[in-house]
Amino acid sequence: MRTTAIPVVVSVLSLVALMLPSILFLAGRMELPTVKWIMLLATVVWFAAATPWMWKQSG
Amino acid sequence: MAEQKPQETTGGSEFEREPVPPDRLLGFKSFIGMYAGEHTAGTELMIGPLFVAAGVSAFDVVVGLIAGNVLAVLSWVFLCAPIATRARLTLYYQLEKICGRRLVTLYNLANGVMFCFLAGAMVTVSATALGVWFKFPMPELNDLYPNSIGWVLAVLACGAMISLVAAYGYKVVSKIANVAAPWMVLVFIAFGLVGLRQFIDATGTQIASLDDLWTLARTSIWKGGDPLPGQVKFTFWHVMFFAWFCNMAVHVGMSDLSVLRFAKKSWYAVASGAGMFLGHYLAWLAASILYAFQMHQDPGNTKVLPGPLAYQAAGLAGLLCVIIAGWTTANPTIYRAGLAFQAIVPKSSRFRVTLITGAIATVAAMFPALAMKLNDFVALYGLLLMPMGAVIFVDFWLIPKFGLRSSYAEWSGHRFNWAAFAAWVVTLAVCLGIVFIVGRWILYFVALPGWFIASGVYIVLSRVYQRQVPLPAAKG
Repeated sequence: MRTTAIPVVVSVLSLVALMLPSILFLAGRMELPTVKWIMLLATVVWFAAATPWMWKQSG
Repeated sequence: MAEQKPQETTGGSEFEREPVPPDRLLGFKSFIGMYAGEHTAGTELMIGPLFVAAGVSAFDVVVGLIAGNVLAVLSWVFLCAPIATRARLTLYYQLEKICGRRLVTLYNLANGVMFCFLAGAMVTVSATALGVWFKFPMPELNDLYPNSIGWVLAVLACGAMISLVAAYGYKVVSKIANVAAPWMVLVFIAFGLVGLRQFIDATGTQIASLDDLWTLARTSIWKGGDPLPGQVKFTFWHVMFFAWFCNMAVHVGMSDLSVLRFAKKSWYAVASGAGMFLGHYLAWLAASILYAFQMHQDPGNTKVLPGPLAYQAAGLAGLLCVIIAGWTTANPTIYRAGLAFQAIVPKSSRFRVTLITGAIATVAAMFPALAMKLNDFVALYGLLLMPMGAVIFVDFWLIPKFGLRSSYAEWSGHRFNWAAFAAWVVTLAVCLGIVFIVGRWILYFVALPGWFIASGVYIVLSRVYQRQVPLPAAKG
């Protein structure tokens, strides 16, 4: 249970981290270069964390 | 634009020649995820900008897309799903029962060719991302032919990789596509948010209310006016009909019988709304905002290139999104085109057929006209396969009311129902004739009267056909 829950939580958080910078940029609270770096980092985390459990789920 | 499924021989799919049994039916949630993933494809990054190039206004695109997408969902719910959940057969088998095996083979050929070109447009989208890294000249909006060696090599590299993977490991890519889908949808939305802020900064607009936002949309993003040279002017009606019919092959054309036959209830088809309003609303609007901003900065730069557009908005994550969106959707499209062709020549090796199919798609992708006229191509694709959807609808619901027999090919043992074939050919001849006479703009509309033409011709000719064709002795 624990081994499954952690990657799922990390995956969800990475999606939050993917969206949040663009929302902050829209609100004028973040610079675009920072947005791009955080989105890239969130992308790497998403694929690293989500691939194992989603791979299993899709059979 | 969804990567669409051929119905012929979906390798390994179940219940190809029998109804789906009750214990294998799926719940509503399965369809939401599937539709949302399928309709957020690489080509959305081409279609959104092409609306701006077509001189669309804010009201026309924002409201027209809502109307068109609602009509598309209703087409799934009221045309496709009721037949799918009653017959529970694949499109291929349903058609074979009505039209006979030989006519289905012809349908496969048409479907396979269109798949090749669709995959070509997806390869084009991926190749534009390589241009950001390698800085070779990329196609202009009105280019018909490849304009640089770098472009040809980039398409060749993308096409070769996609084709090889399709031939070797289709299932792996379909899993990657599943993993990428939620991430991709959010990156698309981020494109829109970033583009919106860039517009606010570039125009110095103060946004304090929705009214201010709407004014920005009206005056700076989707300004209306004349289309760019070579583009058809898009009004509300163009947008609505385009959104409705861009997946016509799937809903009105009944391609999704194969998907919705697994639905417990026919209303589950409303799940298609997830795909329509994420992929064909948010993603199209977001991509069009990026292109409008490019035009705002440099009105002379009319290139529709998803790679550079995504890179300026979201950096490397955006570029990855373009590559993965193009790749994960081109891959199954090439694979399925290969299956369609293989159904015509069953003894050929699937590996070889997929590679040849990929090669054709790659060559098509080198010609930018395919992607730059994607809206026209998509409309044509729907039109081409729609008449067979009308034949299925009429055969299922109406033919018995006229004292005729449904699934006549199965009942009579005939392999070629020429009434269905004539309905297909006559409809296409009339619709394309109208397009040639009246002009390209009407391509987006002719499919609607075309559906009624196909239905009428099929009913009338079935009366003649079912009377004239002698039955095998064993049939009564």
